Amino acid sequence: MTEALSPRRRLALAVSAVVLLILLAALLAPLSPQLLGYARGLQFAVVAGALIMAVAFLVAIPLGTLAASGPRAFDAALRFVCDLFSSLPTLFVAAVFWAWADRSLSYVCALGALRGLEQAWLLRCEIVRLEAEDAAAPHSLGRTPLLAFLKLRLPAALGPLFVSASFSVAWLTALDAALTQAGLRPHAALPTWGLELAEPHGSPLGATLAAGSVALLTVSLHALFRPPRVT
Amino acid sequence: MSVRAAIRRFLGVALTLIAVSVGVFWASASYSRRARAEPLEQNPFRYLPVFFNAHPSGVRELAAIAMQRVARGGTVAVAAQLELARLGGAALPYVLPALDSLEPNSRERVALALTPIALRMEVASREELSDGAQAVLFWTRFWQDRAIDFRAASVRHLTLRLAERAIALRREDLVHVDTFALPALIEGLGEVRDANDVARVQRLTSVLSHVTDLPVRSTENPSLSEARRTVDTWQDFWALHGSEYTELDGPRRLAATFVETQYGKWLAAVLRGGLGRTRTGESALSVIERCFATTALLLLVGLGGGFSLGVLWTRFERRTSRIALRYASAVLGTALAAIPCASFVSLFAGRSAGLGSALCLVTVATAAWVSRHLARSTISEGRVSPLAAAFSVSAPLGATYPPLVLSAIVLVELAFELPGLGRAAALSLASGDVNAWMATSLALALTTLLLRQAADLLRPRPTLGSALVEP
Repeated sequence: MTEALSPRRRLALAVSAVVLLILLAALLAPLSPQLLGYARGLQFAVVAGALIMAVAFLVAIPLGTLAASGPRAFDAALRFVCDLFSSLPTLFVAAVFWAWADRSLSYVCALGALRGLEQAWLLRCEIVRLEAEDAAAPHSLGRTPLLAFLKLRLPAALGPLFVSASFSVAWLTALDAALTQAGLRPHAALPTWGLELAEPHGSPLGATLAAGSVALLTVSLHALFRPPRVT
Repeated sequence: MSVRAAIRRFLGVALTLIAVSVGVFWASASYSRRARAEPLEQNPFRYLPVFFNAHPSGVRELAAIAMQRVARGGTVAVAAQLELARLGGAALPYVLPALDSLEPNSRERVALALTPIALRMEVASREELSDGAQAVLFWTRFWQDRAIDFRAASVRHLTLRLAERAIALRREDLVHVDTFALPALIEGLGEVRDANDVARVQRLTSVLSHVTDLPVRSTENPSLSEARRTVDTWQDFWALHGSEYTELDGPRRLAATFVETQYGKWLAAVLRGGLGRTRTGESALSVIERCFATTALLLLVGLGGGFSLGVLWTRFERRTSRIALRYASAVLGTALAAIPCASFVSLFAGRSAGLGSALCLVTVATAAWVSRHLARSTISEGRVSPLAAAFSVSAPLGATYPPLVLSAIVLVELAFELPGLGRAAALSLASGDVNAWMATSLALALTTLLLRQAADLLRPRPTLGSALVEP
């Protein structure tokens, strides 16, 4: 969809979406308490979404790289851990994180680490695929193996990670809404979009705004994170 | 697939399942501890450590502590007296030989604290034990005369005889050793298959309720199911309190570091059969039997149908020549994947939507999620065989979307009140019903693992580098 747009335009698109949402929240917040909840939800979604993306990348890149290029035991270990977490609904894992974490920061970091594990597997599969096809081989001539890996193969393999990362805000909101709806959120102190969406007696306007904002943020992040190409 | 590969896969699933069981048990314990006080109060094993008991306590330790507190006197002695009375005859082999080591006043206090046991054992009247000196004398003589009765082999023999035939004297013999007979009595309950077993349970229950002071009574002519329920009640009691009436020595003490934990108790309940019982008294296995069909259908349709739809969607989006259609498809897909399933669930839940809507929601959520990943990433749809790759553990997306689809399944089951594993698991986690939570979440995990392993076997592999893709 966004292949035709230049990187600068794509960045501008994403930034303007966030600015638009912030302006909308600033304008609507004083009107009613429900809309104030929406504005606070935006703050949480943006900060927590960014944090989740950062933690996930920090976890995924070294783990995925090691699993693909390191010792075989490491690969088996990553697969085992991924199997472990993917055999249960994320909802339950998030419920336990929510109960375990004393502060929302720990909760968000734990979710980021969980997301990092999923993305590590994506990265590992992509690196293995590229190695099998040897897609970057002609470009790596004259470079050391490490440099060739860092400059060519790793950036080329980051595509699925970027796509996955663009859904971070949506993923977080979905989990939060699911936790609230399932009655597994032990305390509802944090005003989030998930709460707005899942509260049975919440404001319809707030819920619609929240759902629309999640979609807009995701679309703009989706547009921003175009898979890189080896040139 | 070779036998060796099959065994390796099977071991992999078993190992993952064990790890999942440890993980979900820890999850349940953590959730109960932090989330609410109510489930904590309901959990009978709440005082035990979750996975490792560094200092397991048997009857010897409990009796020694209680005796020391009674000997010391003061306010703590009241609770210790009750504890001694509760431990009963099982504590006597450790308390009575130690009486001589106490100073006279302490000795009298301990001897008097044992009065409720003597009354329950029907070996003395209250008048005989009204004075401290008299009580000490009584218990000294009692131990000289009856120490020989407090042997596991003789008590087992007495229990077998009572189990065979009801004679008042046989019952009295067992009452005289009080709670010391508990291990043999519980073992003697056995399985209930016919009228003879019912009669045996009735006879043993009479002694059990007498020595434990628990109000578990058999009706005059109990049916087979009533007798089974009675046995279950005693088995539950023994699972909870068994170690308090037995000595932990040597290998048993070592084993108790694991057995006397919350996880160990759950595992023991599982091994007893039926995967333990839920709070409502129902077997956890029957909960799985009731809920499995709905969840399996949602999993198959949601994952299988959703993945296939996602692949078709991606193909359509890539091949269509109309730019506007491509943009519309991409925006719709991203929005559908981004808007939480919970919002749609909220919209539909109020209506009489049922299983059909639940299936549609899960399928669309999966399709949208998968199509966005396939459309925008370097993962080519040409490599993916839709149905098989939907569940495959080795596929790149294998770790990404199944947990989300499972979450969506839990949500729709809850919202539409469908009798599924996800709903049962969520409700049991919230209420702190450990047995139900463990059974349903493990069933969910096992179903997902087996489906994904089976799909992995069916998945066609690219010839180039296929060995590298499989760890």
